[in-house]
Amino acid sequence: MSQPQVDSISNGKSSQSISNSSSNNNTNNNSNNDKINILRKYKIVFLGDQSVGKTSLITRFMYDTFDETYAATIGIDFLSKTMYLDDNKTTIRLQLWDTAGQERFRSLIPSYIRDSHVAVICYDITNKKSFNNLDKWIKDVKLERGDDVIIVLVGNKSDLSNDKRQVTIEDVEKLHRSIGSKFYIETSTKANHNVKLLFKKIAQSLPEFEHQQNQQSQDASNNPETIDISIDNNPPVANTSCC
Amino acid sequence: MSQFLDPTLEVSTPKQSGHKRTESSYSTSYSVLDIYETESPISARSPTTTNNELGDEIMRGLDELEFKDLSNDNTLFASNGSETEINSNSNLNLNLNLNSNSYIEERIEYITPINNITNIKTILSSPYDMYGFKKKSNLSSITPEHYNQWFEQYSQYLLERKQKWLSLMRTNGLNLPNDSTIPTRFPPKSAKVKKLIRKGIPPEWRGNAWFYYAGGYEKLSKHNGLYKEIATNGVKNKDSDVIERDLDRTFPDNKYFKSNDNNEPKMIQSLRRVLTAFAHYKPQIGYCQSLNFLAGLLLLFMNEERSFWMLVILTERIIPNVHSHNLEGVHTDQGVLMLCIKEYINQLWPILGKSFDGQLIAEDKILSNLPPIALVTSPWFMSLFVGVLPIESTLRIWDILWYQGSKTIFRIGLTLFKMSSETNEFQELTSTNSSQNDQVELYQFMQSYPKSLLDPNEVLGNCFKKIGGYGYGSLSQAEIDTCREFVSKQREKLNNKKKNTSIAVTDEERQTLLLGQDVHDVYGFHRSIMILQIK
Repeated sequence: MSQPQVDSISNGKSSQSISNSSSNNNTNNNSNNDKINILRKYKIVFLGDQSVGKTSLITRFMYDTFDETYAATIGIDFLSKTMYLDDNKTTIRLQLWDTAGQERFRSLIPSYIRDSHVAVICYDITNKKSFNNLDKWIKDVKLERGDDVIIVLVGNKSDLSNDKRQVTIEDVEKLHRSIGSKFYIETSTKANHNVKLLFKKIAQSLPEFEHQQNQQSQDASNNPETIDISIDNNPPVANTSCC
Repeated sequence: MSQFLDPTLEVSTPKQSGHKRTESSYSTSYSVLDIYETESPISARSPTTTNNELGDEIMRGLDELEFKDLSNDNTLFASNGSETEINSNSNLNLNLNLNSNSYIEERIEYITPINNITNIKTILSSPYDMYGFKKKSNLSSITPEHYNQWFEQYSQYLLERKQKWLSLMRTNGLNLPNDSTIPTRFPPKSAKVKKLIRKGIPPEWRGNAWFYYAGGYEKLSKHNGLYKEIATNGVKNKDSDVIERDLDRTFPDNKYFKSNDNNEPKMIQSLRRVLTAFAHYKPQIGYCQSLNFLAGLLLLFMNEERSFWMLVILTERIIPNVHSHNLEGVHTDQGVLMLCIKEYINQLWPILGKSFDGQLIAEDKILSNLPPIALVTSPWFMSLFVGVLPIESTLRIWDILWYQGSKTIFRIGLTLFKMSSETNEFQELTSTNSSQNDQVELYQFMQSYPKSLLDPNEVLGNCFKKIGGYGYGSLSQAEIDTCREFVSKQREKLNNKKKNTSIAVTDEERQTLLLGQDVHDVYGFHRSIMILQIK
């Protein structure tokens, strides 16, 4: 929290521009429109196997809460949140699409991938199968969007890293290089580790902001491999160390 | 209880139900069932009876299914009518298996009946509702205060409705020993019964009423003992892993689904068995996410075996193919819903029929290229509104669904669209000169709006009321059936066309295919059936 850059995206909690409930997003936006004529919107689709933590990740980002269990997502859940970028002048709205993970739901998927700017493809670091299935999700995304989409790889449940890890950093690094994803990161929604960082980096990866971001924090964008993905038991402080 | 044993009181086969029961099997079943199933919720809450029931069931040979033996009562699965004979061969092994490896289901009554002021007060002071769900949901902005404010009124309504039902039962010669008895048979379908159903079945009667009107007894007697056989032997199959992942993720907000200590709740064990048995029995479906919600909700209201057969009825008759491997039924039913919107809420079509880029989807392409609003409606079909609406509203829809079938989903679907379109938010999000105009934000709103509909009477009133309602109650099953068949055929054409082209389809080719002009015909509704809205 002490890191100003992260605060600049997370301070939405105290800002009226953040929609805490999807039903009241209209009134919330009005204040933005006074400041910014066009609020830029980006569609971010969350993909990955059943119960890897997609809903949990989004909930942690949206409301900064965590439950051990969330009801399984059926079809697709739409959520959105307005974010300030580092300069505190630029405001963007992220439209987050939470999806069902089970294989057969992919028949509903193409239409929603087609229109997305970012695909956040998630796996569970304690479940090798969920990592192995990333190939399928990546293929789906590339089929619909070619290279015209930012792909991000997220390994969730990093709090279980010590005793249950089945997917190593090397595994994901290798995959990251082979598919040319924008970056990869390990998160723990339970320990609130790297979640804000993930969204901050997503925002910084958006084409319109990339050059700006490059000037501001070279490390994070140009050398994604160097992101601090080590597991720390005091994550709220440590998770921003790479910025 | 004695009046239930009186053969002169057998109900006649409901003429309009469409169930193909024979009179004889029907009456035998009921005599049998009534003995066991006339349960008082209070006694059912104590676990003392259940073990004996199971013991008796295991000991009981097939030959003992005579009426006189059943008067010993306490048979857990007593719905064996005369049709037992037909299946007797296949059932012979069954009882042998049960001795070695039987599962034990202790049936607990989960529902707090709203019979008196004490129970109402209990609910009002509890963080949980009468079904064990937390009043405060993570999914919506409804607070316990909102809930109580509504429930104070609604509980009075429930008391009133209960009296109406008791009176209906009496008029049909189905007297209950006392007001807290849960009946197992109900009056045959009629305009009067339909009216009562639409106003809500007493919560603690729901399980039995759903089962009765959906044709559960017929299924059960045709497949006597089958569930036990599957549940006993099919404890693990290829879907076990995916089922396991969803057990705790079914109703994390419900106290019966949540373990307090290290013991796994009975409910989770039941859910596992039902879903596993279902995956085994219907390999063409296996396990599909959302079945967990359906099975979970059923299990709050009835035992495992009945929940299992209700899932079978649902996936065979009411929403076929919706949960199949390719989810074809979801595509079909959403196509039907889109055509319904276009036909009956035509003024909304220019808004809902848009693709992401804001272009209206051409009429002949709707089915091949469903508008993205379908992303919002897919859980309406897959979860049958579980998680879409607050629980009481969902249950009230289920009351009607099991009685009237799949047209209910479409009627309610139209109602939800129409209701949401009347809100300021919707107007803002769709007005062409509003800065808020945004397709995705509209979908988000369409998803969150139903979660706020705490009062079922508002939704159902809008749907069904003859005066002041939307008139969607006139959308007929025949119309839905015809339209489903049409959509399904069109989609088949489309899929065949895809198949016939080379396997390696480029993006461009696929696009051309999906947008192919000659893919489908245009479906015409029978407008006359529907009361047209004047707008």
